Amino acid sequence: MGNLKVALFLAYKSIIKGNRWALVLVVLVMSLSFANLILTPSILSGVTNTLNEQQVNTLLANIIIDPEEGEHYLNRVDQVVRKIEQTPGVVGVSAHLNSSAFMEYQWQEKDSPADKGKSGNWAVIGIDPLPEAKVTAIQENIIDGSYLEAGDRDKIVLGIEIAGGNEAQSSSFLTLGDVQVGDNVWLTYSNGVQREYEVKGIFWAKETQADRLAFVTRTELASVMGRSVFADRASQILVKTEQMGHEEQLIAELETLGINGEIRSWREYGGAMSGIVSSFDVIVSLINGIGLVVAAIVMFIVIYISVLHKRRQIGILRAIGIKTKIVITSYLAQALFYAVLGITFGELIIHFAIEPYFANYPLDLPLGMVSLGIEPAAALKAVWGLISAAIFAGFIPVLSIIHQSIIKSIWGN
Amino acid sequence: MIKVRHIKKVYGQGLNTTQAVKDVSITVKPGEFVAIMGRSGSGKSTLLHILGLLDMPTGGEVYIEDTDILKLSEGERARFRLEELGYVFQEYSLLGELTILENVYLPALCLARQNNGKKRAIEMLQTVGLGERLKHYPSEVSGGEQQRAAIARALINNPKILFADEPTASLDAASSKVILELFRRLNKDLKQTIVMVTHEPEDGKYVDRVVWLKDGLVLETNS
Repeated sequence: MGNLKVALFLAYKSIIKGNRWALVLVVLVMSLSFANLILTPSILSGVTNTLNEQQVNTLLANIIIDPEEGEHYLNRVDQVVRKIEQTPGVVGVSAHLNSSAFMEYQWQEKDSPADKGKSGNWAVIGIDPLPEAKVTAIQENIIDGSYLEAGDRDKIVLGIEIAGGNEAQSSSFLTLGDVQVGDNVWLTYSNGVQREYEVKGIFWAKETQADRLAFVTRTELASVMGRSVFADRASQILVKTEQMGHEEQLIAELETLGINGEIRSWREYGGAMSGIVSSFDVIVSLINGIGLVVAAIVMFIVIYISVLHKRRQIGILRAIGIKTKIVITSYLAQALFYAVLGITFGELIIHFAIEPYFANYPLDLPLGMVSLGIEPAAALKAVWGLISAAIFAGFIPVLSIIHQSIIKSIWGN
Repeated sequence: MIKVRHIKKVYGQGLNTTQAVKDVSITVKPGEFVAIMGRSGSGKSTLLHILGLLDMPTGGEVYIEDTDILKLSEGERARFRLEELGYVFQEYSLLGELTILENVYLPALCLARQNNGKKRAIEMLQTVGLGERLKHYPSEVSGGEQQRAAIARALINNPKILFADEPTASLDAASSKVILELFRRLNKDLKQTIVMVTHEPEDGKYVDRVVWLKDGLVLETNS
């Protein structure tokens, strides 16, 4: 029988004949440490996923086509849209006209032009309501009133951060001050054109950037911008795909269609998001680092107490000719056993308790509903982290005893 | 078999030193049963630890079958202890987590050449009268039975020399007699070389020769 088998035999006997409660306690701590290592990054990953999905669903779609550098508009939009729609994997395509306007609410009550209350500058997007509904979820996020229709000219849909009210995160003075559906707002566009619109709907996308947008029909905005309402132009084309994460492949296909524009994925627009994700990564690393240290310390204490308790036995093992590496391997095997058992129970806790709980009761955060985003890479990292901690915690205590003389190990002097 | 030349052992450093063994030279022949006797503090256990490769002398020479054991590395000394030496401690030297049988065949497991270790362990335990105690744990048998199991363990790999450090110190008279007669039988029947430390003068009647130590020096040797 090789040295490894002897070491495993000693470890097996030590575990079988050891204190059951100590075993239960160690495995419990290991399980919770593992669950913690998975849970924290999974929640933050869930937050990231929600943020990304919110951006894609309400603001950017999966693929954005911008005019080429130096150009203001995409031309022959109808033709381009038709081509894109026929591409496999595309769910919807929507052309946007983008502008901005100074908006005012209850402007009739103002005493002077200097009175800036209940007003502000916001982006106004001109959309075709039907195709837009296939691309962004603005229509689904209407909380009051209704969505635009194709023929609407004097109607506007406002994001909650423009309309204001209790649900808005922005301070009241940064909104129009609780505009209601049916109220009128006064818009002065950047080109000086002024229009009065009836608020047809208010949406709450739970994506701050999207909630600071106002929507009118593309026909209406084209007329405001002094273009022919029939002009076949757009500021952007948004493309919604069947699945997130396969954008690059589709972009490659779109680039073969001869579109005169810059085609980018939502990720290239998610500069702010990537900053948040990077910050989360740092936080996750810190929390996981602390979790691993705690797990290692617990394991260290348990193994150290066990080793101290068995110091005489370790001395006797060495005295009868058992190699030190067999003794060390035996304790490492015990530490690994604790870790593997902890990982297994931790995985069971995650799989059968925490994951179903979050699936049924996702966290209702201001940014949206957040469930766990368990990533295999994070789980693998936690497994290796805990095993490494176990090896470290098993190795150090036994090494300190092994370095003592046999006489001291057995008789303590 | 064993040649010891002018060995000494000093514990501690500077002013706080204790010279446990001052200058000891002895020889043990193959098949001999030698007792090392002396009062407490005479250096007999220290001498046995050095002979059993559990401790290193501060000076001198120790040869076991022409092997200069002071030149062996830590790993080589462990190998030597496993293959060539058997050791019986004063008390409670069995591993509490292993059964009596497992305790005995553990050293055989580590020896590649011992592929029938379990069978031999059972035979050894039957030889020492513990054939009915194979699956018992040490806590379930008496002190005398534990010592007999420890002797079986020490013999499992056919050691050239069996060392025993006051093996009867914690036993009653009846158990002590059983252990000493067992040693005597092993020495006579199997020609097992045995070096035993004891402080009981009566034990001298079981051995071939007694080496008396006093204050770390050999006082006298008598047969």
